Amino acid sequence: MRRAGLAREQSSLRTVRKAVAMMNCEEFELRGLDLDRADADPQEAAAATKHVAVCGRCSAMLESWREVKGDLRLLRESTRLDSAPARVEMRLKQELRTRREARGPHRTAVIASWALAAAAVVASLGWMQIHRRAEKSVVAERKTVNAADMLTTNPTENENDVRLAADFDTGEFTKLPGSLSSGTGDESILQVRMQRGALERYGLPVDPERASELLDVDFLVGEDGQPQAVRLHQDTQIAAVTQ
Amino acid sequence: MKILDEKPDALLKRALRGDEQAFLALYQKHQSALYRYALRMTGSQWAAEEVVQEVFLVLIREPQKYQPERGELGAFLYGVARNRVMKHLEKTPRELSLDVMNADGSAWYEPEDPLTPMMIAEKRERIEQVRAAVLGLPAEFREAVVLCELEEMSYEEAASACGCPIGTIRSRLHRGRALLLAKLELLRDAPRRASAGAK
Repeated sequence: MRRAGLAREQSSLRTVRKAVAMMNCEEFELRGLDLDRADADPQEAAAATKHVAVCGRCSAMLESWREVKGDLRLLRESTRLDSAPARVEMRLKQELRTRREARGPHRTAVIASWALAAAAVVASLGWMQIHRRAEKSVVAERKTVNAADMLTTNPTENENDVRLAADFDTGEFTKLPGSLSSGTGDESILQVRMQRGALERYGLPVDPERASELLDVDFLVGEDGQPQAVRLHQDTQIAAVTQ
Repeated sequence: MKILDEKPDALLKRALRGDEQAFLALYQKHQSALYRYALRMTGSQWAAEEVVQEVFLVLIREPQKYQPERGELGAFLYGVARNRVMKHLEKTPRELSLDVMNADGSAWYEPEDPLTPMMIAEKRERIEQVRAAVLGLPAEFREAVVLCELEEMSYEEAASACGCPIGTIRSRLHRGRALLLAKLELLRDAPRRASAGAK
């Protein structure tokens, strides 16, 4: 490691010596005048200094250049406060304002059109939501027929529902035709197994082809012991088939 | 944070949104160097004024031309100024206007040296000679001298402003220096020769 470091040092020293030794008049003309620059390469500056010490022609050229540099410095100093007149700034400010004002209405129009579009989207979404809710409530009203509701409804209005309830198992209580609702909430549920055809006795229409099927049925029985509504079990038919 | 401490790109964004203060901060930061560059290249106050104005108008009207990933804003502005200067020089290739001789006295900066009026007059004359000599250089060499010697840019900065390799800048500067030396030597020797002839 140490040997490698020493070798590198010696190599760099050789390079510096070589650079110093290699600079000739032509190279000095090309790069030697950079001697006084802040960003001059130190190796080249050293080489140039060494060359100037032994070459009268290049030394005279360097002197002349230093005089010119002095003149250039004078020129630089005399104009270092130069700047564009205030009217340039005024014109540019005016241009900036004009563009800003021109852009104002355009931007307003863009914002307004986006706002309108957003409002339209929100309105349509709202309308769709309301529409869906209305549909859902209609379906729910149709589906959620509980016993209490059945008891308070008019029999003639639900004739179709009754027919459906007798023919297809819905899992809901179906009011029996001609029954009177007590509305007291003291009803009890009676579970029985019977043939579908027996439902005819309670005024429910039955498909004759399915009259022999066994059903599990819940009767809602009032205080007076009379059945008021009936509910067919969903799994009744499967049970009937397996039996 | 002061507005001048903000990064140029941030200032530019604000300026393009219409922030006048941000634009003025950018303008104040760059206008002086651009004006001096244009003035030294063209030798005309009027042309330098036009160049500075056009440079900033480009920034206002076509900001997309500046791409931060390609270099700093200062270099971009120099590039635009350079194009405008070159166009101006193409139109008036041999016009060496000396109207920078501060007719209104505004451009003249008097160093605070304890000089006699005679010395001041000589100094002014010398400065004008240098100014004329620089203006007499071919545009490419003049540009290298202006950027590297008068604006004291590094080779790298000058190359970035001119959009050329560092080697090209060094080569142009070398030629420019040689020409400038010859011109000024001639000017310097003329009075000597005249006084020698009189003897």
